[in-house]
Amino acid sequence: MRKASFIVAFYLHCFLSVAFAQQLQKKVDFDRDIRPILSDRCYICHGPDSGAREAELRLDLQEAAFDVIVPGEPEASELVSRILSDDVDEVMPPPESNLSVSAKEKQLISDWIAQGATWKKHWAFEQRSQPDLPTVASVDRVANQIDNFLLSKLESQDLSYSKLASREKLIRRVTFDLTGLPPTLSEIDGFLGDDSPDAFGKLVDRLMRSNHYGQRMASDWMDVARYSDTYGYQVDRDRYVWPWRDWVIRAFNSNMPYDQFVIEQLAGDLLPEATDDQILATTFNRLHPQKVEGGSVEEEFRIEYVVDRTQTFATAFMGLTLECARCHDHKYDPLTQKEYYQLFSYFNNIDESGLYSYFTSSVPTPTLALLNDEQKKQVGVLQSQLEKFAEPKLTGYRGLADAALLDIALKSKGRDPIEMVDFNVVGGRNTKTTDHRGRPAAKLTGDDAIALKTGDFKRHAPFSVSLSLNTPDLKQRAVVFHRSRAWTDAGSRGYQLLIEDGKLSASLIHFWPGNAISVKTRQVIPVKRWVDIAVTYDGSISAKGISIFIDGKRADVDVVKDKLTKNITGGGGNTIAIGARFRDRGFTNGEVASFEVFDRQLSDLEVGLKHDEEQVVNALQQLQSAAEMSDAVRSMLVQHLTLNVSDEHDGYRKQLASTRAQLCNVLDRATEIMVMRELPQTKDSFVLQRGEYNHRLEQVNAATPAVLPAMNEALPNNRLGLAKWMTDPNHPLTARVAVNHYWQLIFGDGIVRTPEDFGRQGALPTHPQLLDWLANDFVAHGWDVKRLLKQMVMSTAYRQSSVVSEELLKIDPDNELLARAPSYRWPAEMLRDNVLAASGLLVDEMGGPPVKPYELAASFKPSTPDKGEGLYRRSLYTYWKRTGPAPVMMALDAAKRDVCRVKRERTSSPLQALAMLNGPQFVEAGRALSQRLLTQHGSEAEDAIANDMFRILTSRQPSKQETEVIRSLYSAQYDHFLAHPQAVQEYLSNGQFGDYAKSGIELRLPRNQHDFRLGSAPNGQERFAGEFGRASVFNVPFSESEVKSLASVPRDQVFAGDLKPALSSSLPPAGEPEKFEKTADLEFSKGLTLEAWVKPTAAGAGRIWDKITPGKADGLLLDLYGGLRFICGDRVIMADRAPVTGQWTHVVSTADFKSGQIRFYLNGEAAGGVIPNPNAMSNESLASIAAWASVANMLINHDECVTKR
Amino acid sequence: MNLKCTGFDPEWGMSRRRFLNGFGMGMGAIGLSDLLRTETQAGDVSNVTDGALSGMHHAAKAKRVIFLFQSGGPSQIDLLDHKPHLNKVHGQQLPDSVRQGQRLTGMSGNQSSLPLVGSPFKFAQHGESGQWLSELLPHTAGIADDMCIVNSMYTEAINHGPGVTFIQTGSQFPGRPSMGAWLSYGLGTANQNLPSFVVMVTKNKGGQPLVSRLWGSGFLPAKHQGVRFRSGKDPVLYLNNPEGIDSASRKRMLDALDQLHHLQLEQQPDPQLETRISQYELAFKMQSSVPEVVDVAGESKETLDLYGPDVNKPGSYTANCLLARRLAERGVRFIQLYHPGWDQHGGLPGGLRNQCRETDQASAALVKDLKQRGMLEDTLVVWAGEFGRTNYCQGQLNGNQFGRDHHPRCYSMWMAGGGIKPGTSYGKTDEYGYNIAEDRVHVHDLQATIMHLLGIDHERLTYRHQGRRYRLTDVHGEVVKPILV
Repeated sequence: MRKASFIVAFYLHCFLSVAFAQQLQKKVDFDRDIRPILSDRCYICHGPDSGAREAELRLDLQEAAFDVIVPGEPEASELVSRILSDDVDEVMPPPESNLSVSAKEKQLISDWIAQGATWKKHWAFEQRSQPDLPTVASVDRVANQIDNFLLSKLESQDLSYSKLASREKLIRRVTFDLTGLPPTLSEIDGFLGDDSPDAFGKLVDRLMRSNHYGQRMASDWMDVARYSDTYGYQVDRDRYVWPWRDWVIRAFNSNMPYDQFVIEQLAGDLLPEATDDQILATTFNRLHPQKVEGGSVEEEFRIEYVVDRTQTFATAFMGLTLECARCHDHKYDPLTQKEYYQLFSYFNNIDESGLYSYFTSSVPTPTLALLNDEQKKQVGVLQSQLEKFAEPKLTGYRGLADAALLDIALKSKGRDPIEMVDFNVVGGRNTKTTDHRGRPAAKLTGDDAIALKTGDFKRHAPFSVSLSLNTPDLKQRAVVFHRSRAWTDAGSRGYQLLIEDGKLSASLIHFWPGNAISVKTRQVIPVKRWVDIAVTYDGSISAKGISIFIDGKRADVDVVKDKLTKNITGGGGNTIAIGARFRDRGFTNGEVASFEVFDRQLSDLEVGLKHDEEQVVNALQQLQSAAEMSDAVRSMLVQHLTLNVSDEHDGYRKQLASTRAQLCNVLDRATEIMVMRELPQTKDSFVLQRGEYNHRLEQVNAATPAVLPAMNEALPNNRLGLAKWMTDPNHPLTARVAVNHYWQLIFGDGIVRTPEDFGRQGALPTHPQLLDWLANDFVAHGWDVKRLLKQMVMSTAYRQSSVVSEELLKIDPDNELLARAPSYRWPAEMLRDNVLAASGLLVDEMGGPPVKPYELAASFKPSTPDKGEGLYRRSLYTYWKRTGPAPVMMALDAAKRDVCRVKRERTSSPLQALAMLNGPQFVEAGRALSQRLLTQHGSEAEDAIANDMFRILTSRQPSKQETEVIRSLYSAQYDHFLAHPQAVQEYLSNGQFGDYAKSGIELRLPRNQHDFRLGSAPNGQERFAGEFGRASVFNVPFSESEVKSLASVPRDQVFAGDLKPALSSSLPPAGEPEKFEKTADLEFSKGLTLEAWVKPTAAGAGRIWDKITPGKADGLLLDLYGGLRFICGDRVIMADRAPVTGQWTHVVSTADFKSGQIRFYLNGEAAGGVIPNPNAMSNESLASIAAWASVANMLINHDECVTKR
Repeated sequence: MNLKCTGFDPEWGMSRRRFLNGFGMGMGAIGLSDLLRTETQAGDVSNVTDGALSGMHHAAKAKRVIFLFQSGGPSQIDLLDHKPHLNKVHGQQLPDSVRQGQRLTGMSGNQSSLPLVGSPFKFAQHGESGQWLSELLPHTAGIADDMCIVNSMYTEAINHGPGVTFIQTGSQFPGRPSMGAWLSYGLGTANQNLPSFVVMVTKNKGGQPLVSRLWGSGFLPAKHQGVRFRSGKDPVLYLNNPEGIDSASRKRMLDALDQLHHLQLEQQPDPQLETRISQYELAFKMQSSVPEVVDVAGESKETLDLYGPDVNKPGSYTANCLLARRLAERGVRFIQLYHPGWDQHGGLPGGLRNQCRETDQASAALVKDLKQRGMLEDTLVVWAGEFGRTNYCQGQLNGNQFGRDHHPRCYSMWMAGGGIKPGTSYGKTDEYGYNIAEDRVHVHDLQATIMHLLGIDHERLTYRHQGRRYRLTDVHGEVVKPILV
């Protein structure tokens, strides 16, 4: 880039002369105008990546860039001459790059240099500024500091906020934003009627106190965490990770500070005295896809997992696009490839496998056992019992002379082997029988296993195997024998003896490598000669319980693994196989002989005798005759005797084994979940050439990138240190990224509109000072997320109208200035939850296993939808299968959750319209809403139904014209359905809920969280005025005769019939409202009966029984409203008669869920109710339901129902 | 820096016409120019010089692609790559000089012996071009003079998941857009009432599992993801009205919705709402256009006979091939068929015979049918799997029960029409059929070539995501010029 400067002056003159004069006045901003061009067009060859750097020129550092930039003198700057050149050999960027710089950008660069070429470091890597609050002219529009920043920028452009949104819009907007659900009519009315100055603040507080808040926030976080209920990739089995999702909900609802939220998820396992909950949080790191496909290279995928964890960490918490640096130094940001692997190293250090088990359901290690309280107690008791077990002293042999001891030892024999292999009989395809010491032996192919009949030992059972083998060469890996279905394809579950690098290794395994005990000999076994081998195991479930003997002598071993918490049985391959294993390396050309299996631990003496009886006996006798036996020999004899002869020990062993078995049983039943558990020894990490698992370059240690502040030396250099480093108040990225994320959640787009990229290629903040101010404030107030969100929604900016003028749309099409409230379609989850809530179908419970709504039947990998409740849970509980996610959610732009995503696309396609018009969930919800309103208002009240339906779905009153449209659709549809009864039957059969057309009116009682109350509403209101006698709740519907016998029992006596009440009030003197604790979960599967003796002293709406949310049809209610009223689920039924004031009356209401019959009885006599008969339902009633359902189905698609406005 | 560079289309400013173009429902080539213009407006001119380029990067030979994906890895040695030498060395061990220490899968990698297997099937030359084809492909033999057989394909992937993901998205790992999504993004479609990228999977076929992300849009807007046509009454997800709602009811409901939307629109102009209105219009149109395209009642007996007896079996490969032609006629840009079951680790002779029985006639019929209708010249038909199979035996070499393991080092595929040189073959493997001897074609090269035929420079159709530009071919790929007309 040295020549050609001489033409610059001339060229510049021609090029710049016209534009230069006009443009020069405008100040060019390096961050806004110049760095994006340099980064995007130049850094590929002249950026941080030293490997790709051309001409030793870099333009990402000021000093280096000023080699080709002369401040104030564009004519003298080679940068300018090169981008202006029309010589194909000279021009930059070179044509073959497919990159170019536009005329406007060329001008900007020239102007910038002419103005002095001010250079700034990239903002995001610098410390946050401490901005002062800008002053604004329209102080009346400032609700809090956020408005100072937004409004001052607007005012500088002669703009201002829009007018405030209507209260109806506002409550809809904020209720969705904070809870993901629509406001109910009574909530809307309550807010509209509250004219206190802090009405909105109170509303926000109420929403944040609701459990729905945590569900809403968790739903968002699940994209970031790439949460899925299946492993992903190709086979994509189910996995058990939902307890982590519930942890997130709890964390948000308890308003866990953000720094703690991050630390626990990244490194909860490393916190001092970590609780189970803190360890559970680290499941976050394991939610990446996992592989099981046969024949895959284990290490290739293990590396992929670590890579995913590392990149998710960078994207989610620091807005760094680390991915580039996996293969080479980052092209744009100052992150080297080495630094990538230094970060990788923090996430590398767990005992995991790159493949999960195909043949078993083992949870990939490391894991956390989720024990319930009962199980924890059992484990505690059994463990302390085990600790107390002491081996009995050898009383029987104490004082015995050596000679006597030896004599007894040599005479006492343990049980015979349970299996001895006859190699004359076995022998597979290429297995030739050979000969060893006159006994048959097998020569193995390495591909064909010799199967035995025995060997299915449990981990608490002692066992041993002895054999002779002859290896032809020093094997790098060879399976000598095993009991397992396969190697990686079964996580090696079972036990095995391998040759590894010429040494013997013996292991008992639940899932390799994280749940196993394993030892390996220090010595290499001899090759090309017969060697006697024995492996013994004492049932202690610890590595020291495994012994390997070579030629009769106990071999020195190293402990490789020493943690076994789950069974080694199951999964197939239940008996021992010699010489080969599925997709493993067999004992090719090896020979075996004298193969024996014992269901007990062989003593050292026995193993010695097996190897060379004559020599051992001689040696022992010589020793004995020579002098006192050595302690070692004596203890060997004692070991033999205790294992084989001693009765005392027999009893001790049995007891020990039984306690161990009990402990194993408890642990085997406990569910496990994948978590992080740091290995004590750091795993080696390497720079990988082009990111490939098998191309290791330089070894690296864990470290943080140099461009960011160094880690405090007091912190441990592990994941915990990393998490604490990242959440240091002064870290330039973390708080900004978090604040930006929540801003996006509330305003639709972040202040940095590329939340995944805060680097040089990312978007600049629209309001950099606001971002820093919010981040500072967030950190200063203890990373309080609820406080931060409240700040945002309390701002005037949030409370504006979203209506936009054409002029403003032109000035600011992307709404970066926020001169109006943002408007966009709600996320997929909210669209579905909205219709569930509106229709009253929503089953509003917290947590638990994933559920399968209707749409999963139409997924690419279909699942059978649930029956009942699972269809109506909030969408964050929908079963997520990576290879075939919920199709409606996908059509509505839900994230795929293959990788970490911090922002969703918002697209629009006819497929979305089809899903919302025809999807069973939406169709059924429309019908349920229709039924609900018809029950409530009666079919005559068309105006009330139209009005409520519109309000429920849009939160506002319809205009006259809108009502007209609804009424006219209703009447057209009513006429149509009246003329087409078959269509009515079909339409009303969509979905499982309350199947009018098929089986009469089935009742459904939604579950709620309320306990039963007698005499008042939960808020203490609606007090019953009068006295109570006996009052009971039964979980079956009583027949008329049963009610009669119930009524015949006086009010102060206990009912002693066969049917026992589910709960019963205390007998008189009562009359005060009563609350029954822990009755929220009472099960009503068939139906119910409510009974009470009452003596009302005044007419009015006093409650008798109450288990309902005020204003909602979500439970049970028996009261005196309008006479005698019974609400059961979505049915509101009035009795024919009511109790008389001042008199004792026995009141009963029954509901039979199956038949849908609801009945009242006063003093044992029928007092009305509803006895539905589908055949008796008039065509008119049915047509009315269907017609209103089609109106509801239309309104569900209304823009104001689906769009944030 | 404008947010549009990052790929998140704001709904604001989305005019109705842009909506039509943008959602895979647009007016043909307007798609690309529209896209380029959008980028220019956004201040990102890196893909184009100052406002110069509109339309294709160069003249397109093909207007559409039908990709007949043979999932599982068809055995090239038994179908397309004639290796007589292998029959001579049948039963011998794979020489180390041939294997050259390359990695094998975990399935046969630990096998003690690797005996070579010659093909039990007869090969013969066909057509004027004299192309060698196996006796398992009698119908394909009939189009020998229309096709170009590539015998020198290779890939890096050694297992199905990564392999299929690689050929469909250019990366072995999940997360990138598929080829069809890229083309939808670049080109749009010529039919407003149908999606630009349609996928069909043979029904009730076992074999290696397929996953929906293979036709996903990755980081491209979701509107570009493949729309799967199912066999049965709902070819597109929830296309049909629910039970009890006839088209008159539906019309009334949509009219009412439209009235409400227009009442809202009267309050204030709103491009976002206009988009929504047209979304419902299109949905209504699709409710008739899709059933029309899947209804083959109007096809002549000759045509139906050409495809073979399974043509009347909804969801069969044969039925899907005929549907592919009907979709192509109606302007769908990228039609992807998947036929699983080519994973013959064991029992290869029987398994392969069965696979060919299911696919041979229909694949050939599709090419013939397109040719008869004058559509072959601008329709590119691609027949390929994710990798090939080993020349050695997996498991026991025992009569007709032998199998072949995955082999990424070389494999065969064919293409026809759309600017591909007919009646040719390209690339050679060594006499063992283990390594490529001449003219290697990498998966990225194939992708570059397909895009080239559609008038797209694969290096220039890029999308900005997470701070960098992505393209289908990563940073690789060369157009295979010798096989082009």
